[in-house]
Amino acid sequence: MNRGAPVAIAGIGCLSAAGRSLKENMTSLFAGKRHAAPPVRFSSRHPVSYPVFEIPEYDLPNDASEIKKVSRTCRLGLSAAVEALQDAGLDAGQMTGTRVGVCIGTTVGSTMNNEGFYRDYLSGMHPDMSVIESFLRGNPASVIAREYGITGPCQTVVNACSSGTDAIGIGAAWISSGMCDMVIAGGADELCRVTYNGFISLMITDDSPCRPFDRDRKGLNLGEGAAVLILESDRSLLERKGQARAFVLGYGSACDGYHLTAPSPDGKGLRKAISDALIQSGRRPKDIAFINAHGTATKDNDRTEAMVIREMFPGAPFFSTKGYTGHALGAAGAIEAAFTIACLESGMIPANTGFVSPDPELGAIPVIENTGISKDIALSDSLAFGGHNGALLLGLARG
Amino acid sequence: MNLNEELKKIIVKDLFIEDITWDQIEDDSPLFGEGLGLDSLDAVELVVIIQKHFNVEIKDMDEGRIAFQSINSLASFIRERQRS
Amino acid sequence: MEMYIKGLGVVGCFGSGAGDLAACLEKGAPPLIAKVSASGPAYLAETSKLETFVPKKSLRRIDHFSQMAALAACLAVQDAGEPSSGAGLTGLIVCSGYGAAQSTFSFLDSVINDGDACASPTLFSNSVHNSAAGHISILLKMEGPCLTVSQFGMSVHSALLIARQWLHEGRADQVLFGAVDEYCNVLGYCRRRFFGEDDTGIMTPLSQERQSAIPGEGAAFFLLSKEKNEKSRYGAVVDVAMGRIEEKGMNLSGDAIYFLGADGHKSCDRLYKGVIPRGIEAACYSPLYGSLPAGPAFDMAIAALSIREGRLFASPESVKDQEGFRIIRGSNTAAPSLITCLKLEKEDEYGIITLADG
Repeated sequence: MNRGAPVAIAGIGCLSAAGRSLKENMTSLFAGKRHAAPPVRFSSRHPVSYPVFEIPEYDLPNDASEIKKVSRTCRLGLSAAVEALQDAGLDAGQMTGTRVGVCIGTTVGSTMNNEGFYRDYLSGMHPDMSVIESFLRGNPASVIAREYGITGPCQTVVNACSSGTDAIGIGAAWISSGMCDMVIAGGADELCRVTYNGFISLMITDDSPCRPFDRDRKGLNLGEGAAVLILESDRSLLERKGQARAFVLGYGSACDGYHLTAPSPDGKGLRKAISDALIQSGRRPKDIAFINAHGTATKDNDRTEAMVIREMFPGAPFFSTKGYTGHALGAAGAIEAAFTIACLESGMIPANTGFVSPDPELGAIPVIENTGISKDIALSDSLAFGGHNGALLLGLARG
Repeated sequence: MNLNEELKKIIVKDLFIEDITWDQIEDDSPLFGEGLGLDSLDAVELVVIIQKHFNVEIKDMDEGRIAFQSINSLASFIRERQRS
Repeated sequence: MEMYIKGLGVVGCFGSGAGDLAACLEKGAPPLIAKVSASGPAYLAETSKLETFVPKKSLRRIDHFSQMAALAACLAVQDAGEPSSGAGLTGLIVCSGYGAAQSTFSFLDSVINDGDACASPTLFSNSVHNSAAGHISILLKMEGPCLTVSQFGMSVHSALLIARQWLHEGRADQVLFGAVDEYCNVLGYCRRRFFGEDDTGIMTPLSQERQSAIPGEGAAFFLLSKEKNEKSRYGAVVDVAMGRIEEKGMNLSGDAIYFLGADGHKSCDRLYKGVIPRGIEAACYSPLYGSLPAGPAFDMAIAALSIREGRLFASPESVKDQEGFRIIRGSNTAAPSLITCLKLEKEDEYGIITLADG
């Protein structure tokens, strides 16, 4: 892994069950407010109900009808992109051309799993093909590219739960390699019945609001949302007299090569991903203000992750924000990158909501109340199905 | 067909076990780790299999760990649940 | 930056391995046309050779989608003469247009047939897009960076940009890169609903009048390195680009041989005429592997084979002569030094992969 140059983040947009904008999200986090409830948009038949972090319909922007035709995942992504562009002081016209790229992480957004269509197909009812047309038109990165007339590189990352982290890392590389001047990078994912049933079948969901890193944690709650970062080259920022809000300092990616759904107990993939992010940034573990952990609240994830954090960053504060947003799958890494930057800016990190009792097996305790921080770089990491691990080093200053 | 035999056949079929036949599974051998060598993903699949074939619910993996020790322990778990 | 191709592994209706693909290219016609129930013809692949690399019992939970990808990956590593775990830190990139479609629908079957509480966790795990990469990283004990990309017909181009990126950044010493797509009955059904029934089983790409795409499935994997050595007999990828065709058209070089990714979709096939430089030589091989989003990876494989063999293979007979450019026929052609694989789709999307004799 070579040393790399910081990549400017000119704007951020974020939408989750905790808020319709990054600012609203952070208000909820610092107020310790969370709202987990049984799903509203779909029903299911399980002996117990599993709470989710769902975005109310009225919180989705009231868009032009064209945009309403695309999938919920795409609407979430577009909404975050709008906020990010506004935040960066960019208007839509400035995004056209071949030196602008789009890189978005998702899981549901790229899967043709429309249950209604499939049921009709199975029963021989010749279902309406508009569902399929919508899917074929609905690649999340392509939808954003078309919305803004972007003709540069376009990519949808489908790396399961680390997709958002990976998409930002890739977007940053497109800037530092000189391939792009601007990249809309982030993640978007919607709640749906298929993933709801899928995660329940794996017995890694909690029937109460989740408890990351807690001794009695029972699993995750699903969530939905999107976050977008506008990544920009120094030259482009200078030309339009823009400002960098923060920087991507490093990115790492590595596999465990261990198991399809469980992380490697020795955390070797996560360690490698974090090490590569540090190497690329030229920073050391003691420079880090905090770690925004993946912290899904499953037994396996939190155990592995806490061990790696404890060993690589002894004494550093860490927390999971999934207690406020649920696990938004492909969007999670991007949402957490957005939160990480906002925390650095405010000099404060939120309590790890849901935590009550230390787990002796973890040997580490997350922050339990809003806590001031003074350093200006932080780590956000993600662990995914398939044993994939992603890590981002983010900072307020270039060097 | 007794319950042990039924369980062995279902496990071999529904977990796609190819390297041994149902009658080679010992009643008392561990199903996980050693023995049959099943893992955590098989464990949650087995929960679904038991629910589907016997209408017996396994609430969490603490219950599962006890039930899944061997064919014998699984059979007696099912019988006990079906009685109540 | 060039990416040298150290090894190549392919799986499709033509068989598995570079040898089977070369034999099919010599013959010029696909060896198998499968009728698949009421969903129409499809070119299917089988993966029994995977058992030469992996014990059968380790394959029990790996679905067909991931097995095709794993087989192609193993063949690429073997073809490169590498030990099973590769040399140095190897990154892994897998791309797919539709992902593990069959497992996705099989998971829905478990929900529909057995109820929400009896949904199958194994099928769900396999339905996630990055399951193929997950299985390959476990089978080949890979510890480097790992990525799965899905961009429909532009998946291969989009993902290749990352392979180049990783080699440039030193994130990996080499990259095991591949594309995979599988057929399933729902896909066949959708195609029939959109395009009507055509059971002739013959693809006639570039035909302006006929919708002739036949769905295929398979995987094509490459072991890519930034270092040239005696193993790099397939040449190198010298350019990767993707974007949208501008109103003024594309500025394509007249120096290359073109492999056209036309695959029988009338609306996309008719785009080629407007952008190809006049008088160039071109080939189209999609009738040998079918219509699938991973198709450009097969063109890339055939380009690599052509460079290795120092010759161009004839396009299948069902690819008719075209006005304005010459379709390659017969084997009396000079050794290719520059091959551009061009894929056009939707109204204006393009993807380009150029290989050169290293």
